[in-house]
Amino acid sequence: MTDAQGKGAVLPVSKDPGDAILEFLRLAVAKELADAVILPMKVPSGDSFAWILMNDVSLFEGAVPIAAAMPVQGAKALRSLTRKGPGNLTVIAVMRPCEIRAAIELEKLGQVHTDNLILATYDCPGAIPLQKYVDDPGGSEEHFSLMRRSGKPDNTAKPVCHYCENFSMFDSDLHFGYFGFSEKEVLVIPGSDKGSELLKGLDLDLAKDLSDWKKGIDSLKAEREEARKSAFEETGEQLRGFSGMQSVFASCIGCHNCQSACPICYCRLCYFDSETAQQDPDALITAAAKRGGVSLPEDRIMFHVGRMTHMSLSCVSCGQCTDACPVSIPVAGVFSYVADRTQRTFEYEAGRNDGDPLPLRQFRKSELPGIHELVKNAESEEPSHE
Amino acid sequence: MSSIIIDTSASRGVTGLLKFLLESGKIDAALTMRNDPENNTYDFGLITDASNLDEAVPLIPVMTVNAGQVLSSISISRKKIAAVLKPCELRAFVELVKREKGSLENLLTISYTCGGVFPLDTVITGQIKELLPKYRKTILNGEIPVNTRDTCRACEHFIPMNADITVSVIGECEPGVGCVMHLNTERAVEFTEGFGGERSDRKFDPSTLKKTLDARLAEKEKLFASVTKDGPGLDRLLDTFGKCVGCHGCSSVCPICYCLLCDFESANFDYNLPYFEEHLSRKGALRLPPDTIFFHLGRLTHMSFSCVGCGMCSDVCPVDIPVAAMFKKTGEKTAALFDYLPGRDVEESIPVMVYKEEEFPDIG
Amino acid sequence: MKEFEMQESGQDRKLRAKVGVYICECGPNIAGKVDLDRIITDISELDDYQDVELVVKKYGFLCSAPGKEYLEEEINSNGFTHLVIGACSPRDHDSTFMGVCKKTDLNPYLYRIINIREHCSWVIDDKEKATVKAESYIRGGIARVLRQSELFEKPLDINPDVLIIGGGVAGMEAALSLSSDDRRVFLVEKTDRLGGVSIDLSGILPGQGEVIGKKIESVLGNGNIRVFLNTRVENVIGFLGNFEIELLSEENTEITEIMSGAIVVAAGGTLFDPRESDRYSYSGSDEVYTSLSIEKMFAGDDGAVLRSGKQPSSVALIHCVGREEKNYCSGICCSYMMKLACFFKKQSADIQVTEFYRDICLPKKNDQERFSEAQAAGVALIRIKDISLKGTNVSFERISGDKDKQSFDMVVLAPALEPSADTEYFADLLTVPLDEFGFFQEVHKMTNPVGTATDGVFIVGAAHGPKGVSDSMQFARASAGQILTRLIPGEKLIPEVAVTEISEAYCTGCGNCLEVCVYGAIYSDDSRGISVVNEAVCRGCGNCFGSCPSGALRTKHFTNTQLYREVDEALR
Repeated sequence: MTDAQGKGAVLPVSKDPGDAILEFLRLAVAKELADAVILPMKVPSGDSFAWILMNDVSLFEGAVPIAAAMPVQGAKALRSLTRKGPGNLTVIAVMRPCEIRAAIELEKLGQVHTDNLILATYDCPGAIPLQKYVDDPGGSEEHFSLMRRSGKPDNTAKPVCHYCENFSMFDSDLHFGYFGFSEKEVLVIPGSDKGSELLKGLDLDLAKDLSDWKKGIDSLKAEREEARKSAFEETGEQLRGFSGMQSVFASCIGCHNCQSACPICYCRLCYFDSETAQQDPDALITAAAKRGGVSLPEDRIMFHVGRMTHMSLSCVSCGQCTDACPVSIPVAGVFSYVADRTQRTFEYEAGRNDGDPLPLRQFRKSELPGIHELVKNAESEEPSHE
Repeated sequence: MSSIIIDTSASRGVTGLLKFLLESGKIDAALTMRNDPENNTYDFGLITDASNLDEAVPLIPVMTVNAGQVLSSISISRKKIAAVLKPCELRAFVELVKREKGSLENLLTISYTCGGVFPLDTVITGQIKELLPKYRKTILNGEIPVNTRDTCRACEHFIPMNADITVSVIGECEPGVGCVMHLNTERAVEFTEGFGGERSDRKFDPSTLKKTLDARLAEKEKLFASVTKDGPGLDRLLDTFGKCVGCHGCSSVCPICYCLLCDFESANFDYNLPYFEEHLSRKGALRLPPDTIFFHLGRLTHMSFSCVGCGMCSDVCPVDIPVAAMFKKTGEKTAALFDYLPGRDVEESIPVMVYKEEEFPDIG
Repeated sequence: MKEFEMQESGQDRKLRAKVGVYICECGPNIAGKVDLDRIITDISELDDYQDVELVVKKYGFLCSAPGKEYLEEEINSNGFTHLVIGACSPRDHDSTFMGVCKKTDLNPYLYRIINIREHCSWVIDDKEKATVKAESYIRGGIARVLRQSELFEKPLDINPDVLIIGGGVAGMEAALSLSSDDRRVFLVEKTDRLGGVSIDLSGILPGQGEVIGKKIESVLGNGNIRVFLNTRVENVIGFLGNFEIELLSEENTEITEIMSGAIVVAAGGTLFDPRESDRYSYSGSDEVYTSLSIEKMFAGDDGAVLRSGKQPSSVALIHCVGREEKNYCSGICCSYMMKLACFFKKQSADIQVTEFYRDICLPKKNDQERFSEAQAAGVALIRIKDISLKGTNVSFERISGDKDKQSFDMVVLAPALEPSADTEYFADLLTVPLDEFGFFQEVHKMTNPVGTATDGVFIVGAAHGPKGVSDSMQFARASAGQILTRLIPGEKLIPEVAVTEISEAYCTGCGNCLEVCVYGAIYSDDSRGISVVNEAVCRGCGNCFGSCPSGALRTKHFTNTQLYREVDEALR
């Protein structure tokens, strides 16, 4: 979590934090400090949300800035808007920290241009899994309301949310902090010059001290760290050896929903859907004959290993992959675990806006000195298999 | 043609047939569903060693992936393959053959009268084996199991007589004790020469399945009505597809959607900023990413008349949109305009590939 | 209803390939160790390829003159659509057989040479095993060649002129070697005079001063060499045969644009500053000098004297200054230090001259002479393990291990020769990598010391590495040789054909490929949001190919499909 510099401004709350944010945005657009905003809105059937880009202030009241579910990763919305360039509109996007972090990674990959975007995050208590929300919107809203007040994900929340440490301010332009304020106040904290300018333009004084709020965040963070440790220990055990991967991904049907839902997976045509990845039928049958048979569709586990190789360094553990999986594989649990380790290895933190280039693009003459040991150890643990 | 009567359950009969075909060298590989004993999951096995057929569950009411899709990646081969397919999978494959995405030349198709499949939610509970006895009882009574896919319950094309071999699962023999395999083609006769069982001239009698067919047709009425239960029009389309998250899982698992790069994922649907600015100035709001419904309309245009109603799309949809029902209904009505039935006959041309100088005179 | 009938069903319009498979016996080299007749029979009987006709034959020596004629005749008379040759290594005869194809209608990129000599007959004793392997390789080659595409060479017009950066000894020599009536040379020098470091050396060696002076005169008097003094190179874009350069002179702020086909970098070197090392601590007022300063003094009228004007009574000449820090030996210092020692002695026989060295390096023919001269003149030579300096007080550890101290009137240091300050700037500008010492990286120390990773950019003189005047001139002539043979006025260049191309449909412009391309051959097209390869610069190395997660890049003639299918077939 970025060190919030000392002070923030306070927004009065009449209904709930989301409402306060809407009022803030109305003013920003009215004062022409921004041309438009991106916010979630309920879909016509009332059981999900969609991202809406809007400049008509009268439509704002239908928006839900702090939405209980995350059907589409916000970074994807930002990508569809700014992939071809920053454009002329100044747009404020209010999203979860993991969505902004994914957008920052996408910017490094040339898929998002944030020049005219004002990225705003808020304290996130977690999200309700999409399927659960669709099945029972009312009940889910109740759970989410409680989570928002306590700042803690409950047993209905997405598994990855339980151990997310980046649930509060990150490298965004603005942050709305409200944990620990029993819904009476919302802090607005600038994280960049862009953010500061906006607050100045709205005549908001940075008068409130942040230390109390920070203390609350820190203690919530400590809980999440504990949960992370034990979750990763469990995942590590489950994934031991190739048979571990096999059993975790046993029910995979190769639908590639996880890849589609992932904000980082930016390729138009995934390598694993491309012609190259399709095996020649004769070669496949010959290979089958050597082993007595082969499981189809082919390369279901290879797909996951390949995807990990390609995007693990930018994975922000948002959990969309698990949400999208039709056979309930804990994809996000596995990918978060692997991402944590790969990012550590390269001393890289996905989602940070600190100028650190993507590790795969950097050539260092001397790198990973312990890698031979690592590989040797891994090989010794794994019995040779056909 | 003729048929073979075997004094064992249909499932064992089919496995036995595959074993015979492999061991006699008549085929190089057999494609059938199998159950991975270690993880209790289902996948397809392309089996070359007969001893591996112990894991085979050829008639299991489970569809993790449409076999037509699987077959299309392996059938263009000089090797001989026998494949066990559900009726809709066979029809889907025939549609793919018409598009040069598969070949029937070296393929022996074995299909069966299908009672429908359990949805993936049920499959991952690992309870399929426990559910089988009741399932079988229900279908043998000519009734429709309530816990199968909605499109299965509404499927009238469950009698695949265009396969080389059709196995009677519903009706005709005492269940678990005997099964009938109808040999519909010369190839079927050729391949089964030497295989055990009583040879008979018995032909398939569709009247034995009238009860099931009627029940299915009734279900189809209900299903089609539910698609537009709140009336037609764009608003209702929005209601149904409004919560689509654009994962395109439906097209990924659809056997007919064969394009490597879907047009909707290509650069053709990358918008420049002026597009968004213009929309905003006109309407004041715009959904991001755009084209949620357009994707479905596009997919309907491109493939609906080849839709075989297998139901994979609805099953993988993360927000439970009834895609299959919508596509099945639209597809059926569109195909009917051309007197077309997908998968019926490999020689039947796909309507959009046939030029007729005069057509639909009333549309003008 | 009238139905329009197609003449021929679309499905009947298929490629009917005819593949010639010619196996070279290579005398006993292949035929002796591989059963070619069996391979011919097996492959001829393959029923694997529908719509493909295979013609399989063997021949004694396909690379011989009659062999090539035979091959040409076979291609023409059979009308092959593809060709596979089972023979030796591509390094030997790939271009030979490509040449044969070029004489026929068969596109040379629809042919493939398969190595069954170095990979099979030369390394496997067992004939059965060698035959099985050779056959699988050839089958793989057939599968590959059927997936190859026609590629066409695109000859490019070139500019034969040359830009030379740096007007020192190396730059001038290159200019004089290259210039002619149909090839202009642009010699760009950042200071106000030609000659570089060697100017300061004039008048020292017999005849050397005249040599440098004469060179400068020749350059200035040459109508085909245009000299730019007080000028810097601002920007360079382009590739071999077609560079566009922007020059900025100090006098006017206008940019001068010139075009050239090649660039010779003669940016020179500079001396290591001894004070960067903890060993050597002295101030500007101490009588401590670098060798170059002493050379200048000797070139002047007063000789090498102390600031007071008096003769030094004792002089320490310290070799290897910076050798441990830089990790290389500059190779010229021992030679000139011996020379300087003799000069001091000539200046006054009373001067006590002591040379401190770690090792003596005197590689050239005449250097030994100087060593003997120095010894005869009474110069003391002390071999040391370690040495340090405080002002003119020298503390040293002899090779024996004994530690000692001595004070001198004057100390002369021979610092390592290091890359000039402009090196990094040019490395960036010209996309030329630097080696571990900071000098420009040559293609190969032995086989191509003047070429760089960027085709058309050559490095000469001290910019390449520490060297003296005569070596600098040799390098200059070497680069001229390369340019004279490759950029011929009036002739076109044929760039590499098997380069990489990026599919506009699949590319998302993420820039991975751009970042990893060492030749700077990929650029970003923001209007389309994709990356694009400049085919004239691309060498087809494939780095970018590996960096693209979606496979939007295709390296022509080495596509994934071609490689995978070859391997699949060989392993079947």
